[in-house]
Amino acid sequence: MNIVLRELRAHMKSLIIWSIAQIFIILAGMMKYVGFSSSGVDLKTMLEGYPEGMMKAFGMNRVDLTTVEGFYTVFFLYFMLLAAIHAVMLGAVIISKEERDHSADFIYSRPVKRSKVVFSKMTVGVINIIVFNIVTLVTSVVMIAQNNDGNGLLPEVSLLMLALFFIQLFFLTLGVLLGAVMKTTKAATSTATGIVLGTFFLSIASDLSDKVEFLKYITPFKAYQASDVVLDHTMNVVSTIILVGLSIVFAYVANQRFYKRDLSV
Amino acid sequence: MKIIEINQLTKYYGKHRGIEGVSFSVEEGEIFGFIGPNGAGKSTTIRTLLSLIYPTSGSATIFGKDCIQFGDEIRKDIGYLPSEVFYYENMKVIDVLKYSASFYENVDMSRIEKLSKAMDLDLNKKIEDLSYGNKKKVGIVQGLLHEPKLIILDEPTSGLDPLMQQKFFDLILEENKKGATILFSSHILSEVQKLCTRVAIIKEGKIVKVENINEMRNNTYKRIIIESASEGISAKFNFEGITNLTSTEDGIQFLYKGNINEIIKVLYTLELKNIIIEEPTLEEIFMHYYLKEA
Repeated sequence: MNIVLRELRAHMKSLIIWSIAQIFIILAGMMKYVGFSSSGVDLKTMLEGYPEGMMKAFGMNRVDLTTVEGFYTVFFLYFMLLAAIHAVMLGAVIISKEERDHSADFIYSRPVKRSKVVFSKMTVGVINIIVFNIVTLVTSVVMIAQNNDGNGLLPEVSLLMLALFFIQLFFLTLGVLLGAVMKTTKAATSTATGIVLGTFFLSIASDLSDKVEFLKYITPFKAYQASDVVLDHTMNVVSTIILVGLSIVFAYVANQRFYKRDLSV
Repeated sequence: MKIIEINQLTKYYGKHRGIEGVSFSVEEGEIFGFIGPNGAGKSTTIRTLLSLIYPTSGSATIFGKDCIQFGDEIRKDIGYLPSEVFYYENMKVIDVLKYSASFYENVDMSRIEKLSKAMDLDLNKKIEDLSYGNKKKVGIVQGLLHEPKLIILDEPTSGLDPLMQQKFFDLILEENKKGATILFSSHILSEVQKLCTRVAIIKEGKIVKVENINEMRNNTYKRIIIESASEGISAKFNFEGITNLTSTEDGIQFLYKGNINEIIKVLYTLELKNIIIEEPTLEEIFMHYYLKEA
């Protein structure tokens, strides 16, 4: 418990900063919508001129951009990207920072098992991503409500946030695994962000060409289609099972590998 | 009862040697010195005892229990001061100490005040604002706070001024009187000399010798300085038992271990200006061990 409280306090500041960043992105996105919808441009005609691949890449093939929910699902991609980077960085840092800050000799010479320290840190990670998730939810609902006659689409957005949570959990545990295995915090965080951006571009590539459509199976950003969740109220069960399963495997392996690790001074 | 027992402990970092076949044991209530130059393997040994790193082969027990298998249990009764102290930078001293205390049962919190006062440590400062010496003090207080049965100190005095060193030694001796066993690693011999009863000397990852510190100094070696106008005296002292022989402006000096009468016989043949026979400092003995092994 003492480790959990200590880590919560240590990560408070960064959580606040990340949350503010997310609020700004949602704010900016929805402001674009306001501009869009009030400009009076015939969007449909305009968009018909764009190539289909590009429309797909931005998830605009299915949804109606002139409606607020349509617009939101397109922008959700970027909210998801930020959430993923936050989660993976948090995971990588929280486990490896003791060695970076030379406090490993302190914490791991206390009478606790290493696995307990790792578990406490993961708990703090999960609490952090839940807070980030709730911030995203509240901001989204408030912003949607403002442009949708007071209807914030709470049930739809909540379901979307549940999907987002599984993606966050996946990236958090991936970060923890990298932090546990890699030599330094720097190596862990740069690999982690590399993987996030890599899989993000894979998800875009899978939309651009049918030849590489299979790529969508190896990127968590394609685990859920925001438009499906919001419009059809369905969440891909197979994706959920895979994401949760992988999260458990990552957490387990991270703990095993960290237990055997020679801590550096 | 043996508090620490190390058995053929070997640690390689990849291909790099950490320690090789280290064996020694520390008895209950002892202040045991662990001495060697930087990079000899002192920290490697200590960090293996705390299972911060894992041995390549060999084993160690503390309080009779395997130090890896029962690591968390053993560490309840260990106070450890790492050689490199860098706690959580943006925490206050008092918060670090409270955090440290929160890991142990039944900690007498008044000891925070008492120990900090003894070490002249400001509890309300942030760690990042502390000098190296003051960080070291935080390390010392944190190590002694929970009244551990075994205190492991890795280069504890670096960064402390002589006055603080003395206060620190007093604290250590006080804990020792209450029954704590102490493993004290250092590369400075004079401080080991002051405190320890026995000492293990480590060099290039191997234990060169484990010896009682008094025997090591008193009963084995004499330092002899001879001032003489006679020519070629160093040649006359070319026999067994003499080491570290050097010529000075006025004569020669050397370390001697053996029958003192042999020396007197030679001295008798010389025209002496002055002669000094004294206890060598540990440094000299230490250098001697090193040269011998080289």
